[in-house]
Amino acid sequence: MEERKKEIIQTITDHFKDAVSNPYDGNRVDFTIPKQQIPAILFYLKDEMGFNHLSHISCIDWLEDKQFELVYILWSYTDRVKVFVHTRVDREQPVMDNIDMIWRQANTYEREIREMYGIRFAGLEAPEEFLLEDWQGPPPMRRDFDTYAYAMKTFWDRQEARSNAQDVRETIRRRTGEELPDFAKKYSR
Amino acid sequence: MREKATTLYLGPQHPGITGNMMIRLKVKGDTIVQATTEVGYLHRAFEKLAERRNWLQSFTLMCRFCVPEPDPVEESYARAVETLEGREVPERAKYIRVLVLELARIASYMLWYGGQAGSLGLYTIGQWSVGDRNYILDLFEELTGGRVYHMYIWPGGVRRDLPMGFEEKVLKTMDYLEKRLDDYEDLMFDNAIFRKRTIGVGIIDPEKAIEWGVVGPPLRGCGIQHDVRIDEPYEVYDQLDFEVPTEEGCDIWARANVRRREIRQSIRIIRQVIDKMPKGEFYNKIPNPHKWRLPKGDAYVRTEAVRGEVGMYIASDGSEHPRRVHFRGAAYVHAVTLLEDLLVGENVADVSAIMNSLGTCPPEIER
Amino acid sequence: MINDKVSQKIVDIIQNFARKHSLWVLAYGTGCGAIEIPPTMTSRYDAERLGVRGAATPRQADVLLITGYLTTKTLKRVIRVYEQMQDPKYVIGFGSCTINGGMYYDSYNTIKALDRYLPVDVYINGCMPRPEAVLEGFAKLQELIQAGKADGARKYKENLDWYRANQKEVIPVWRMPEYNW
Repeated sequence: MEERKKEIIQTITDHFKDAVSNPYDGNRVDFTIPKQQIPAILFYLKDEMGFNHLSHISCIDWLEDKQFELVYILWSYTDRVKVFVHTRVDREQPVMDNIDMIWRQANTYEREIREMYGIRFAGLEAPEEFLLEDWQGPPPMRRDFDTYAYAMKTFWDRQEARSNAQDVRETIRRRTGEELPDFAKKYSR
Repeated sequence: MREKATTLYLGPQHPGITGNMMIRLKVKGDTIVQATTEVGYLHRAFEKLAERRNWLQSFTLMCRFCVPEPDPVEESYARAVETLEGREVPERAKYIRVLVLELARIASYMLWYGGQAGSLGLYTIGQWSVGDRNYILDLFEELTGGRVYHMYIWPGGVRRDLPMGFEEKVLKTMDYLEKRLDDYEDLMFDNAIFRKRTIGVGIIDPEKAIEWGVVGPPLRGCGIQHDVRIDEPYEVYDQLDFEVPTEEGCDIWARANVRRREIRQSIRIIRQVIDKMPKGEFYNKIPNPHKWRLPKGDAYVRTEAVRGEVGMYIASDGSEHPRRVHFRGAAYVHAVTLLEDLLVGENVADVSAIMNSLGTCPPEIER
Repeated sequence: MINDKVSQKIVDIIQNFARKHSLWVLAYGTGCGAIEIPPTMTSRYDAERLGVRGAATPRQADVLLITGYLTTKTLKRVIRVYEQMQDPKYVIGFGSCTINGGMYYDSYNTIKALDRYLPVDVYINGCMPRPEAVLEGFAKLQELIQAGKADGARKYKENLDWYRANQKEVIPVWRMPEYNW
C-alpha cells in the first residue's frame, strides 16, 4: 500500500502544482489545495485514480483565522486508500464551487453546509431549507452563534422544578430534626 | 384519458414511514412520477452541542445519533478519538467491542424483520422477531445497564468487563435465536405475498451503485461485495472468519436475502469472539476528562453498521472541547438522493417497503 | 338529558370505565422513544392486554404519545395532529426531554417543557423509559381516567389563548388553520 500511496501523491502533485501533501500513517493520503481547484482535483481523483466513493464532506469554522475549512473524503474500493482534500474559504465571503455533478449525493451535504454555515455553493439547485424551518437566527453551526443563550432566550425553562428539587433538604430536616441552613430555606415550601 | 398529477404527502405522521420524515409524492394514478424527501423533524443539533462539552461528555451524545443501532456510532467516535490521540486499546476491549457491535447488528436486523414484513402486511413476523429481540436487549442490560442506549464503548476501551457467566448466556441466546431464525425465514421468504411484492421492486442500477454512494446491504444486494469490515478492517475483524453475502437482483428481495444471511454470519462471529476472547485489561485509562486535551488535527473512521458504512469525522484545535464532530450516516445518502430516485415509477403502496429495505433512519440524517 | 347528580355520576363511571379500556395510541414516532414502542406492543410486554393499541390516523386515536424531544418543526405538526384528534384525548410525555429538556437543555432546536405547549396528562421519565415504565404510565393514565382527572383536553380548550401564545412564541411563521372550539 505504501508504494501506491507514494504513487498517488506523486501523480497529484505533478498535475496540481498548488496541492500540498500532508504526511499521514496508514491508508490516509492528505492534500491541501486552493478552493478554485477543488472541482478539478475531485474530477481527476474520481475519473483517473479510481476514487469513486464520496465518503464525506465536512466543514469546520475556524473563527480565529476568519476562515471555513472544507474537507472532502474519498475512498477507493480498489486501492483501499482514503484521500482527504482540505481547502479554506474566506469567512466574510463564503462562496464555493458546487460539486454535485461529480457525485449526486454531494447535493445533500452541500445543502446542509449551506444551511448550517451559510456557505453559498455556486449553482446548487435545491430548496433553501433542509433541516431547519423558518429559521431566523444566524447559521447555527457557526462558532459565534451561542446555542445556550439562544435556548435560554427562546424556550421556557422549568426553573420551578429545579428549585423544588431542593425539597430533599426539607425531608432530611424532618428526619433528623436538624435546622435548615439559611440559603436552603427559601427553596423549601 | 388525460391523467393529472396529484401531490400526496406521505408523513410525517404515517404508520408506514420509518421514523419521523416526510416524502412529497407526485402521483399519476397509482404510479409515482416524482418524489421529494423532506427531513429535519429530528434535528437536535448534536454537533453543536458537542462543541460545548468536553471530549468525554460528547460521547454520551453519540449513541443518540441513530436509535435502532447506537453502538457503531459510539464505536466510531471512540475509535476516531483514539486515532487522533494515538491511544492504544487493550486486546480484550477490542474483542468485547466486536461482541457488542455484532449483538447490536442482530438486534437491529430483528427490528428490520418486523419493519420489512409489517410494511407488506405480514404482522406475525414482527410479533415474533421484536419479541425475541428482547433477549438480546436483556444481554445488553446485564452488560451495560441500558436496553437501548448503552454508552458502553468509550475512548480507551469499554466501560466495564463482562459480568460473570456472560459468555454462556450469549451462547445460549445465540442457540435459541438460530432456531428461531428458521421460523422467521419460513414465514417470510416462503410467503407468496412477500415474493410477489418484493421481486423486481425498487431496483438500483448496479453500474451506478458505487458512484451514487450506495453502501451496505443495498450495495451487496447488487452483487458488489464491499464491506468496511473486510475493506478496512477495524478492531479485530481481520482475525475473524466470516463471509460477506451478496445477492444478484438489486431489488428488495435481494436486499432482504442479504440481511437474512448476514444475521447468520453475525452469530458465527459472536461464537468465534467468545471462543478467542483473551484475558487481561479492558480499559486504557484516560486522564482527567476536564483536562484531557487532544492534539490538533483531524481523523475520520468508518464502521459497518446495518444500514451500511457510517463514518465519524472529528477535528480538534488542541483544547478540551471538540472543534467539530461530524457524523456520516448511511441513510444520509440512501434516504435523500437514492430514495427520491428509486421511488419514481413505483406504486404508492411500495414506498414503505422500499424505505425499509434501504434501512432509512431519519435521526441519522438530521442528527 | 340526565339532570340529577346521582344518575350523572353513574353514567360517568360507566363512561370512564369504557374509555380507560380502549386507549388507541396514534402511530406517530416523534422522537427516539419510538424505538421502545414496538417491544411494548409485541409479545413480551403486550400492551394490548390493557386495551392499548395503535391507530393510524389522528381522528381515530385517543392518546398522543410524545416520544421524546420535540423539535420546533415537529411541534408544529404535533399541534395540528392534537387539534385534529377528537375528544376524549390524552397526551403522554415520554422521556426526560419532554419534562425539562433533558440532555438537550442547550439545544437551539428542541422545546424544553412540553406542558407549556400541549396539556400533558402523564409524564414518563427516563432516557429511554423501559417498556415496563411505559406500561406503568398507561396504567396511571387509566387510573386518572377512572377518577375523572384526565382533563387535559378541557384545560386546553379553556386556556387556549395561553397555549396558543406559547406556541406562537417558538413557531415564528404560523401557517396553520385556527380551529374554533
